[in-house]
Amino acid sequence: MSEELLNLKDVKKYFGLRGVPWQKAQAVRAVDGVNLVVRKGETIGLVGESGSGKSTLARVATRLLDPTQGRVEIGGKDVTRVKGRRLRPIRRRIQMVFQDPQASLNPRQSVATILSTPFRAQGLRPTRAQLVELLEQVGLAEEHLVRYPHEFSGGQRQRIGIARALSVKPDLLVCDEPVSALDVSVQAQVLNLLADLRDELGLSYVLVAHDLAVVRQVADRIAVMYLGTIVEEGPAAQVYESPAHPYTKALLSAVPVPEPGVTRDRIVLTGDVPTPIDPPSGCPFRTRCYKAEDVCATKRPVLEPVEGSTEHRAACYFPEPPPLERTQ
Amino acid sequence: MADPVLEVHDLKVTFRTENGSVPAVDGIDFAVAPGQTLAIVGESGSGKSVSSSAVIGLLPSNADVSGEVLLDGRELNGLPNDELRKIRGNDIAMVFQDALSALNPYYSVGWQVAEAYRLHHDVSKKVARRRAVEMLDKVGIPDAARRADSYPHEFSGGMRQRVVIAMALVNDPRVLIADEPTTALDVTVQAQIMRLLDDVQDEFGTALILISHDLGVVAEVADDVLVMYAGRAAERGTVRDLFFRAAHPYSLGLLGAMPRVDVPPKPRLTTIPGTPPGPGSITTGCPFQPRCAYTHLVGERCVTERPELTPRPGEGDHEAACHLGRRPEVIL
Repeated sequence: MSEELLNLKDVKKYFGLRGVPWQKAQAVRAVDGVNLVVRKGETIGLVGESGSGKSTLARVATRLLDPTQGRVEIGGKDVTRVKGRRLRPIRRRIQMVFQDPQASLNPRQSVATILSTPFRAQGLRPTRAQLVELLEQVGLAEEHLVRYPHEFSGGQRQRIGIARALSVKPDLLVCDEPVSALDVSVQAQVLNLLADLRDELGLSYVLVAHDLAVVRQVADRIAVMYLGTIVEEGPAAQVYESPAHPYTKALLSAVPVPEPGVTRDRIVLTGDVPTPIDPPSGCPFRTRCYKAEDVCATKRPVLEPVEGSTEHRAACYFPEPPPLERTQ
Repeated sequence: MADPVLEVHDLKVTFRTENGSVPAVDGIDFAVAPGQTLAIVGESGSGKSVSSSAVIGLLPSNADVSGEVLLDGRELNGLPNDELRKIRGNDIAMVFQDALSALNPYYSVGWQVAEAYRLHHDVSKKVARRRAVEMLDKVGIPDAARRADSYPHEFSGGMRQRVVIAMALVNDPRVLIADEPTTALDVTVQAQIMRLLDDVQDEFGTALILISHDLGVVAEVADDVLVMYAGRAAERGTVRDLFFRAAHPYSLGLLGAMPRVDVPPKPRLTTIPGTPPGPGSITTGCPFQPRCAYTHLVGERCVTERPELTPRPGEGDHEAACHLGRRPEVIL
């Protein structure tokens, strides 16, 4: 097995709600006990609906947020309590690409300044050739160095965001919804770019996205989040072909397919995601689950290997059976 | 096909700005019949939202609209505002992407739905409220009679979009224009809303104009599709014409660029190089020419001559605006 880049151990992140004096203080359990390992060369897709905690988890993993509980290991070292200046060498290994390239680039800085900021944070001075190389890696050119963010289209801005993240030669890029703000044709360009960079530089990715089709295109492994926990995890092909958790199954069935006449057996979930302030007892999904029984309310199910597979795991008392061997 | 309830001919929209006039929509035609769904597909800046807003006169005052907009044969373009107001929300209703900004945070949702009804019906508040609760119930708000007194912030995104749909449908409109109605929603909620719109069409025979960039949603619900690029129609036809017999390189490019959830991934997505042109930046020739992978097969004509919609093989009125008179072969 290849080197562990990131290891999250029972990570929890609660956000305090400022209560009123006569009420008990409450907490939003954004991430509620997640274990996740990212190895060198892997692309992990972190999927889930809004409020599932996927973005919070990404921010804890990059140490932009402190976990409430649990351990964050980067490159085999425990970095949970590392603070301030001492975080910088860690940030060389793990970088982040944000959803909204408009908001994550300073409009008053030229591209050259934006790209040299990570170098300066590391106490380095980049050469012009280094900056040009970065731009070329993401499909831009030297002439763009002197321009400002507003002079670029959304797709180009996202390329600048990726170039900035690559500047310190990280091993792992955490991309939070990198293409959701882009048009379809531009989205495909950026997805192909991410794949090319992986092949050229041997990068690993944690790709946070709500679009399951986008994730399928690039990820080797999938982790499905619901209400702050991972409910299913495994190799992409296995999770997409034969989802074991009822939530994953419903989620996949809800994605429309661009082919008229294809009718999918859709499991339409009723109701909304419960509040993470007061999650249901036992299995977090039981309130919307079509398979829920009494036992689901008792104790939270843990991730367990699905029958016939070692890497594919689901947290469910009644997982879907594995597919029959295809005989055709 | 039944007689269309809404017909649009040669619609042009130009915005007067400080930097001169900017054409946003440059001559498009479409029609939709009762119970049918027309999808207008395109990327940002293609003019899809502007066209639909032009239909019900919702554009700002610096927009010049020309062309015909016929509702049951009656010309809407050029009607005075107070006449239009009788039609808007009554015969033609609209649902927008962002439900939160479509609702007033100061009023309960029941009040807002009732108000939409009272605008077009001379009824008491009590009757209007009863109607509002009935509508909220119909769009699947649980415990509608009680929830009618709740305020927009007390609802989730999906529930808010249901409220907006209830408000749009309260007057039994003949045409519903839905501009990216599910883009801000999660897929499981999107599935609920699309099913709701489908049920509504079955029950009331509403004609739906769906504006979307999501080809998956389009494939699932549309009968006819209009593909727009840079303010013009690139291709139109039935949904099967577009997905199985796409005749415009842009349509083909869009289809290839969509990742799919139901089949193993391709090694690479096909992409369309470059970005869509800014409004008004291409005046002669085909607006897609600078990004087109097939232009070398045609040559100069793509740059000098604007392609018009011409018939293509297909089920019905399949048309594409491309000088390459045949279906492009897929280039990888």
